[in-house]
Parts: sequence; C-alpha cells; structure tokens
Amino acid sequence: MSLWVDKYRPTSLVKLDYHKDQANHLKNLVQCGDFPHLLVYGPPGAGKKTRIMCLLRELYGPGVEKLRIEHQSITTPSRKKLEINTIASNYHLEVNPSDAGNSDRVVIQELIKTVAQSQQIQSSAQREFKVVLLTEVDRLTKDAQHALRRTMEKYMSTCRLILCCNSTSKVISPIRSRCLAVRVPLPSVEEVCSVLAGVCKKEGLLLPPELARQIAEKSGRNLRKALLMCEACRVQQYPFSPDQDIPVTDWEVYLRETANAIVSQQSPQRLLEVRARLYELLTHCIPPDVIMKGLVTELLSNCDGHLKAEVVQMAAYYEHRLQLGNKAIYHLEAFVAKFMAIYKKFMEDGLDNFMF
Amino acid sequence: MDEYDEMYGIEDDFEQQFADELEVMAQIDREHSSCAKVSEFRNKKPIPQTFEEAIVSGDVPSRKSVNKEHPESISPLVYEEEEESLTPKPKKRRQDVAKKLQFGVEHTDDISPPSSPEVYNRRVRDGPAVFLSLSPDRPAATKITTNVLDISGLTALQESPRRVTAARRHAQKRPPAIGDFITVTDSMGNRVYLNKKEDEEKAPDPRAFRNSLNGLGLLAVPIEVLKEQITERRHRQVVEESQRLTELMNSGIDPDHIAEEQADSGVDGGSGEDEGSSSRLWVDQFSPQNYTDLLSDDFTNRCLLKWLKLWDTVVFGRERKPRPAPADVRSNFTNAQNQNQNQSQRFKTKSQITEEILEAELDQYKRPKFKVALLSGPPGLGKTTLAHIIAKHAGYNVVEINASDDRSAELFQKRIDTATQMKSVLGANEKPNCLIIDEIDGAPAAAINILLATLNRKDSRDGEEAGVNALKKKKKKQSVLLRPIICICNDLYVPALRPLRQQAFLLAFPQTLPSRLAQRLSEITRRQGMKADTGTLMALCEKTDNDIRSCINTLQFLHRRGQKHLDQRSVSSMCVGLKDQNKGLFSVWQEIFQLPRLKRKRIGGDSFGGFDEAGPKDGAQRIQHILHLVSSTGEHEKLTQGLYDNFLSMKLKDPGMLGVCTGLDWLCFSDVLNEFVLHGQNYSLMRYFPFLPAAFHHLFAANSVPRINYPHSHYEAFTKTQHTKNALIAMLNDIPPAIQSRVCMSSLCMDILSLLLELISPKLRPVNPQLYSTREKQQLYDLIDTMINYNLTYRQDRTPEGQYTYVLEPNVEDVVHFPGLPPRRQLTYQVKQLIARETELERMRRVERAQQKRNPPKTEAVNKIQEEKKTEVKKPTSRNHQQRLENIVKQTVVETRPELDFFGRAIAPKEKPMITTTGEDGKAGEVVHIGKAVGNSDVWFRFNEGVSNAVRRNVYIRELL
Repeated sequence: MSLWVDKYRPTSLVKLDYHKDQANHLKNLVQCGDFPHLLVYGPPGAGKKTRIMCLLRELYGPGVEKLRIEHQSITTPSRKKLEINTIASNYHLEVNPSDAGNSDRVVIQELIKTVAQSQQIQSSAQREFKVVLLTEVDRLTKDAQHALRRTMEKYMSTCRLILCCNSTSKVISPIRSRCLAVRVPLPSVEEVCSVLAGVCKKEGLLLPPELARQIAEKSGRNLRKALLMCEACRVQQYPFSPDQDIPVTDWEVYLRETANAIVSQQSPQRLLEVRARLYELLTHCIPPDVIMKGLVTELLSNCDGHLKAEVVQMAAYYEHRLQLGNKAIYHLEAFVAKFMAIYKKFMEDGLDNFMF
Repeated sequence: MDEYDEMYGIEDDFEQQFADELEVMAQIDREHSSCAKVSEFRNKKPIPQTFEEAIVSGDVPSRKSVNKEHPESISPLVYEEEEESLTPKPKKRRQDVAKKLQFGVEHTDDISPPSSPEVYNRRVRDGPAVFLSLSPDRPAATKITTNVLDISGLTALQESPRRVTAARRHAQKRPPAIGDFITVTDSMGNRVYLNKKEDEEKAPDPRAFRNSLNGLGLLAVPIEVLKEQITERRHRQVVEESQRLTELMNSGIDPDHIAEEQADSGVDGGSGEDEGSSSRLWVDQFSPQNYTDLLSDDFTNRCLLKWLKLWDTVVFGRERKPRPAPADVRSNFTNAQNQNQNQSQRFKTKSQITEEILEAELDQYKRPKFKVALLSGPPGLGKTTLAHIIAKHAGYNVVEINASDDRSAELFQKRIDTATQMKSVLGANEKPNCLIIDEIDGAPAAAINILLATLNRKDSRDGEEAGVNALKKKKKKQSVLLRPIICICNDLYVPALRPLRQQAFLLAFPQTLPSRLAQRLSEITRRQGMKADTGTLMALCEKTDNDIRSCINTLQFLHRRGQKHLDQRSVSSMCVGLKDQNKGLFSVWQEIFQLPRLKRKRIGGDSFGGFDEAGPKDGAQRIQHILHLVSSTGEHEKLTQGLYDNFLSMKLKDPGMLGVCTGLDWLCFSDVLNEFVLHGQNYSLMRYFPFLPAAFHHLFAANSVPRINYPHSHYEAFTKTQHTKNALIAMLNDIPPAIQSRVCMSSLCMDILSLLLELISPKLRPVNPQLYSTREKQQLYDLIDTMINYNLTYRQDRTPEGQYTYVLEPNVEDVVHFPGLPPRRQLTYQVKQLIARETELERMRRVERAQQKRNPPKTEAVNKIQEEKKTEVKKPTSRNHQQRLENIVKQTVVETRPELDFFGRAIAPKEKPMITTTGEDGKAGEVVHIGKAVGNSDVWFRFNEGVSNAVRRNVYIRELL
C-alpha cells in the first residue's frame, strides 16, 4: 500500500472526503441491513469503487476487506474454456464479465447463478444475501445484459447486485429500471485540492495550493490521477515549487500532437500520417471513444467558433457509427478526414474573403 | 487433318515424328470409309425415294434442288385454303388469323407463281412444313418452321395431310405462268389449273375427287377418311420397315460409328432426334468423336497420344516401331528446320523437354518412365474429352473415376486394382483398360498416396526381385502396374498432388485458341439453325475465357430460350456463360484502382469528377464489372483492408478532400454493415459488400498503374494490441487483490501506468544502499514496495549488441511509450541492478513472513509450546537418523570392499578415507573413528546419490541478510 492512492483511500462512508450528502444517503440506505440492486455510475476516478467498498463494509464489517483472488473456469456451450479472475471476500464477489469478451453472457449466467443459488448457511451471523459486484457493465454485450435481467429478479432473496459503470447509456433500460441508480460525479477542483492537501499533510509534506490547483486541473478532476500526479511530483522534486512541471500521461501528449498535426495541414498524405498515429494510440489500448473525445476537445480549441458546432456534430455522428461498428480506425479516420475537409474549406473561404 | 498435311510437306522425317498420329489418322480414315458405306446403304434403302427423303439424307446442294420445287408445292396449299374457306365458317376465321400473321402474301385471290425473289424466299422457308405433313415420322428439318406453321393455324387445316399434299401439288387457281397445265372444272364450277409435270407417281387429283363427293354422306365414315387411314397405315409400315432395315445394317458396324452417324444425321438433316437432342446437352452432343475433332492444343494432344503409345509394348505386346536414333532425328530435325533452334540449343524449351521425356527409354517392364500422365488446366478446355478420345483411339477401354465416386482410400485402392489388373472377358469391348482419374485435385491425400504406392511399391519390389523369378511375382496379389493411368486436375499445385507431380508426365493445357473455338461454335450454330456471326462468337469466347463448355452451354441456353439470332449486344448483356472467375486479390485491387485501358481519352480530369464526364453507360458498365469481380472474389474482409491501406497512397487529385471523406464514409458503412451481419447472423445483407469496392473504383480509379501493397496494418495493429494487452494482463494478475479490485485494465493503461513509471524512477544516488541516509532508505523502501505491489521487477536482459540492461518485467514500458515523444528518464544500470536485487530480497522476506504467519501462530505461549513440541519432535528424529547412520556404518564396516579411486584402480585402504572425512567435516576432524563422529556434531551429512544438497541445515533469510 505504498502508493498514496491506495494508502489514503477512505474505507468507511463517514470518512469520505466529498459528496458527503450522498454518503449519508448510502449510510441510511444500508442501515436496515438491506438494499436494492444498485447501479453506480460516474466518470473514472470519481470514487465509485471506493463508495461501493465503504458501503459493503458498512453492511458486513471489516470482513469484506479480506480479499482473495479466485480463478474461475467456465465452459461455454460450445466447449470453449473461459478463465476469469474474480476477487472475493466471504461476503461478496467481484467480477468483471467483460474480460470474457464475447462470451460474457455465459459468465453472467453461470457465475452469478452459482453464487446466487447457494444459500447462506448461518443466516443469523451474516446477512441472508451475498453481494455480486459487476464492474464495467457498460462493456457487456447486449446478450449478457439481457441474461442479467431475469437473474436479477429471480435471485433477489439470496443475492444483491451492484453494477458499476462509467455511463448508463450503454446499459439497457430494463436493467436500469431494476436498479437504484447512484451517480458519483467527479469531485470539484476545490475538493480535489483539499484531498491532495490532506494527503500531503498526512505524508508530512508541504503542498503549495497553486500546485494543488494545477494538478487538479491537469488531472481533469480525476482524483486517482491527481493523487498519482501529486506523488510523481513529489518523486521528481521536493520541496515542491508552485510552478513545477507536472508529469502527464504520454498518450494525452501524443493525442495533442496528433490534433496539432491535423490542424496544421490537410492532405491525404497528412491523413496517412494521422492514421499511423491513431493506430499507435489504439494499439496502446486507449479506447477509441476516448481518442475521439480527446481529439474533439483538442481540435475545438484550435478551430474557429463558426466551425465548432459543425465539428461537434460530425464528431457525434462518427462516434455513434464507431459504437455500431467494429473497426474503430475507419471511423476515427473518417472523422479526421471530415474535419480536414471542413477546416480546409473554411480556411480557403477565409483566405478568399481576405484577398478581396 | 489439313494441318498435318501441311506439316507433311515441310518435314522430311514426318513419318518418324508422327508415326502414332498417322496410325490414328489411318484408323480414322478407315472408320470414315465404313461410315460412308453405311450412309450409302441408308441411301439405297428399298423405299421409293421421295424427294423429302433425299433431302434428309442428302446435303446442301440437293436441298437447293428441293427448294426449287417449293413454289409449286406451296401454291396448291394456298389454293386449298381458298377452297376450304368456302365451306366451314370457323376455318375461315383461322385463315383470318393466318392473314393477320401475314403468313401469306399469296392469300389474295390473284395468286400466281412467285416472281419476286422475296416471295420466293418466303416460300422456301415455308417449304419444310409441307414435308412435315408429308412424312410424319420425320419432323420438320427445323423446329422453327414448324412453329411458324403452328401459329398460323395451318396444322388445323391439314386434317388429312397425305391426301391434301398429294393433291396440292399441281392444282392452281390461275393458269401457271411457266410450264404446261391442264384445266379442270369440278362439279361446283370451280376451275383449277393443274400443272403438267414430270412427277408421274403422284396421284393426279384426289382433292378434286373429294370435292366432288363432298355433299354425299353414304358411308358412316367418309371415304376420304378411310382412304387416308389406309394410306397412313401403309406409310407407317413402310417407314418402320425402313427403320428396321437401317438398324439391321448399322448393327454390323461399330457402335461408335453409329453414334457418330446418328449425331451427324441428327445434326445435318434434323431428322428423328429433334426431341431427344433438345434434352441433351450440346456439350455432349457436339463433343469431339475423334482425334481430329479435338479443339485443344495440338502439341498437347500429340504428347499425350505419344505417351499412351509408349504403353503399346507392354499392353498390346506390339513392338515399338524401329525408329532412327533420337539424336539423329533431332539433329536432322534441327538442321532441316531452322537455325534459331540451333542457337538456343543450350536451353531446352519446355516442349523439347517434353519430347525428350517421350523419347526416353522404357523401363525393365517396357513401361514408359512415367507411369502416370497428369493433365492440368482450367475447366472447360477439354481435358476429360481429350483423355477419353485418345484412350479410345489407342485401343483402350476407358475406366473413369471422378469426384462423383467415393474416393476413400480403400475404395480407391480397389478401383485402381480392378481397373489396372482385370480385363473384361465378356462383351464387345475386349480391350485393355485405361484408367482415367478425373478431378484428382479434389481427392484426399490418402487416395493419392495409394495411387503412388501402386506406382512405386511395385517398382521397389521389382528392383529386389527382378532377376529372381518373375513367375512368383506375378502370383502375388499386387502385380506390376501394366496399364496406363491418366490423371486430370484443375489445380496442379494442390498440396496433396505434390508427390504425384514428381512422378507424373505433366501436361499443362494451354488456352484454346479463340479462332478455333469460334469456328467450332459457328459450326454448331449453323447445325442448330442459329444465326451468329464470327464476331459475336469471338465475343462469346472472350467472355467465357475460351471455355469451350461454357460457350456451348451458353449457346444452348440461348437456343432453348428461343433466341435464334445472336448478336454482339446480346452476348455482352447476357450474364450467362460467366464462370466464377477467381482472380487474385492483387489483380482485383489493381482493377479497382485502375481505369480500364481503352477509355484513355477521358482521363485527366480529377478522379471523382471523371465519372460524370464518362457518361452513365460507361460508368455503369465499369461499376458492374467491379461488382461482379468483387462478388466472385469473396474475400471481402481482406479486400476492404487492402483498399483502406492503399487508397490514400494513390495519386489523388482531391483538393477538397471530399473524395477521401466519401471513401471513408463508405468504409464506415461497410464496417457497420459487417458488424451487423456478424452480430445478427443476417447474411442476406452480405450482398451489399461489393458496393464498397465499386464506390472506391468510382472515386479513386486512376489511369496510372497503381502500386499496391499488401495490407499489413490491421494485422500489425492487432498483434501489437495483443502484445500490450498481454503485458497488462500479466501485470494485473499478480497484483494483490486489494489493489487489483481498484485497478481495471483501462484505468491502468490510461491513468496509472504512465505516472507509475514516473514514480518508480526517482533520483537515487548510485552508491551502496548502506550509505543512504534514512530518507533515501525510506524512499528506496517505498519504491520497492510499490514495485512489488504492482508486480513489477527489473529483469536482466542482453541486448543484441551484447550489453546487459535491466528491463521492466512485465514490460509495460512499451505500453505507455509512444514513438516520437521524448523517452522518459531512465534509471542508471547500477540503480536498476540495486532495485532488482532489493526487490528480490523484499519478495523473499515477504514470502517468508507470510509462511511464518501461516504456520506458527503469533502468541509467545503458543511459540513456547511449539518449541517444546519441536524439541520433542527433534529427539526422535535425531535418534532415528542416528540409528540409521549406525546401521549404515555397521554395514560399511562389515562389508569392506577393495576401494577404488575415480579411475577404478584399487587404492591403499588404510589412510585415505580418514583424510577425506577430516577434510570434509571440519569439526569431526579430530574424531578418527567414523562411527563416533556420527551424532556427536550437529552438522552431519549423508551422501545421497545424485543429489547435491548433502548438507542440511535450516538457514533463514534473515541470518544471511
């Protein structure tokens, strides 16, 4: 537990640093010892998992923190063997079904059913239900989500599901309606700053508030990232100076450079270069929608106000196609080409107006 | 045959060269003469020869003479119609129909013998209809004319064909312009003019006769009808008898020739078989019957024939004709022929090599060197036909195995054996068998191995036993292969055929010459009464890639559809006759990115505006072409990938990038479609895939030859992604669960890793860690802790240059590093080494701690108990091994062997063992006796053969550190 992120993670609902109202609500929710299925969603680094674990601890006591890794193997109907890692305590089971790729439906059906069907022996000492925590539910295939629908209702007496995802838009509505949705928004910059200051204080370091603010902004209010950045700053240089340069993730730098390349020249050759860069990003496991979002943000900051609406519209269009399709590179490149066309036309028109 | 004649003129040694062919020629000639005899017989049939029959059996010139008679035969018919129109109403109507159809110019009253050539022609064409009615057993020469007549309703009029036609001959309403005539007036007052003609056998005027009796109905059945029946019956009898006679005569002749004959007659005269032939495939109907009919390349034909003739020695026992020494022949040949070949003598052409193979000596069984001929070539070139015909002409009975038969190994063996070792004793074809294995490229490898074994195993056995005794060998179940085998395949390079290829006489079929094919096609069309000019037929050949079968099938298809006139347009617009052409991916890409050559003039404008200029028809054709091409290629995924990888490197003149955008939109569409198809298993949508390449053609096709690279990008990206993922998974797998639950893959690679790598490369002084300050020590400890928590270590690795470096394990550095960005600050080699060592130590410590935690519970009381227990446990164990040792010692004492040193020599037994013991066991050095040393010291050893850990002692890590 050496990283600050891990070391100073709050373990109970009372100790949470921000969204205290929500924490209170959650505490009240589990006070009676029971709760409905939950759908916790929010952007990465907002503290979803932390809240869930706090909730479980509130419910079951410190026993939930004794985690072990279990390797489960499941045989699909087509005799394919699936290996999937689960993290379990005595009271709950955490699965990331999207690890199984296209066979996630089988994981949902088999794994959850086996957990849900087994009754607790000593119901007096424990709760009468187990909790299954499913992460990255938005990456589940539709089949798997449909498989989940019935399971959720059928095993209500023995099992509670907590679904964790980034966005509800990819969760089918029947599931959304069966769950209590809990949104965990990103902390504000001030909240991030206060958390950083608190951590540094505990570490016995002195963090200038300017630097804290910078870190908070650079991290995009992603608390995990902010803490890591802060610690990286600490490794680079201590004592802190307010204008210290903050290490950032490479892929963001790369993406920014790509966006600059797009703006600086519009030609098929440049498009070919951009394609190579996009491929590079994709091979580094950066999700295509993140790339798209990053590109749009960077491009918007570079282009004229007249174009912004159109660019955003195009981005939305291609992002939608991207979700429908399979080969992300086509859609990303199509967006880039479209942007190039729009931008070029705009620039030429502007030039003409300027000339005459 | 003409060609051979020509060749004869040129070559002096023709006889030697083409002895086999000549032989066959001679055979064919003989057969032909017999055929001729047959037809003569037929012609001399005892039936009184009507001129119709003469037409049927005769040929064109005689037909002409017939045609001349037609006007006379037609005009009475018309007259007859006029006559009939007088009486019944409905018939009148029919005649009206006929008029509407413009059947007769002659229908008007003033019918006169034709004077204008047009009318004459009409009649000529109508002529056969009359013959139809005349001889019901011989349908019309062409079906077409019959159809015409049917339409006109004439058949309905011909209630009594025989009579009517007999009557029609010479009666006209008007006096004929040419020739003599007789005027006849009937009871009704109608006057007819009868032609006076040399044709005396015909009944003069039965029609007039009938007309005179028209009103009287004395008999229940009119007399005409009765008469008619009788004549009909008689006629039938005659015809039947003639047929019987024909058969009788034909039966004496080879059945082949009958078939040939029938085919010929069926084609020429259109007699008899019209119904039957319409159901037959023309491909079969017009398949060549003998060697000279073959359309395939002459050289190939000759080679195969020669090869087959090589078998004559062993199969028929015929001696090979003595020929001049091959060298002589060749030298003569070359001298006589040309100088060019002399110059290029050093490099043998392929044909020369083939010739040489054929000239090669026979083996010990007088078999040719290659026992199998392997014909290869694309479908529709006549490989199977060639094999059959040549085998037949060389005097073999053809046994064919093809893909329609089961070709499992056992059955194959059985069939080969039956075909090559047995001979039909009964029946007419008492010929040796020749095995033709068709479509061998589809046969399983096991079957081909069996075939090879049939060739080879016997060879080897022959090698062993050749001299020993031939008799015994013959009696064995598997005797030597003594029959030729011809294999036919489309793809010579199928893996299963590889072994066969080395042992077979390979003959690759070249393309059929389009001119020859077109000639044959025109012959067929002529015979079937279709009209097509040579240009059209050439177009058809081109369209089907000179595939004979496909051409003929197309023709037949069109014929059946009722299309009699074939023109260029219908050929080009037709989609039949096109094979599934399988072109390579590269050529497909090339075609997509390149404009067709002929349309040179309108290129030069920008690539995607070009379409509008080109005109819709042209563009549509091109797009159709691409659609067809792509849909027959099938490999959509790879094709698309190739387009994607290459289209930006084409020479685009696309300033606005609009074309690129459109192209990419198409790609997106195709991708979405593909995903949808795969996801929903909705394969009917796959038909829209080919539109993407068509669109690309339309957008990006240029005039210059495109340089196309094989698409690697997707695959490379895939492998790289996989590599990255594997590194991440390896890293994730051993992270302790408390952290693992918070770290998922995406957050790891997006947020954590990059910063984590910053975190684990602090500035450390490259000195001994003992010299670090406490803060530095704490920093180092934190670093190592982090690394262990996140399952990272440094592993020593050797670069290709031979230097040692430390790399992260798992190598997540690749995961976060992007090319072109400044490389992150690396730790020095020493620091990495230090960290690696410390990490390793820390890991060991942790493992030990974990074990201790698990085994002895922590409280001291328990510890004490444990210790006591341990001592208790220890005592018996020590006793145990003491006892054992003592036993061992006793045994060693008892059995004192003569001791041997390392090299097996005897050593002086006294001092040396003692020295060794003292040397190895320092503490027990003073103790001389072995027995006493055991158990006294707490270090003891026991020699364990093959195991090196002779010294056992519990050593804790903490003691060493």
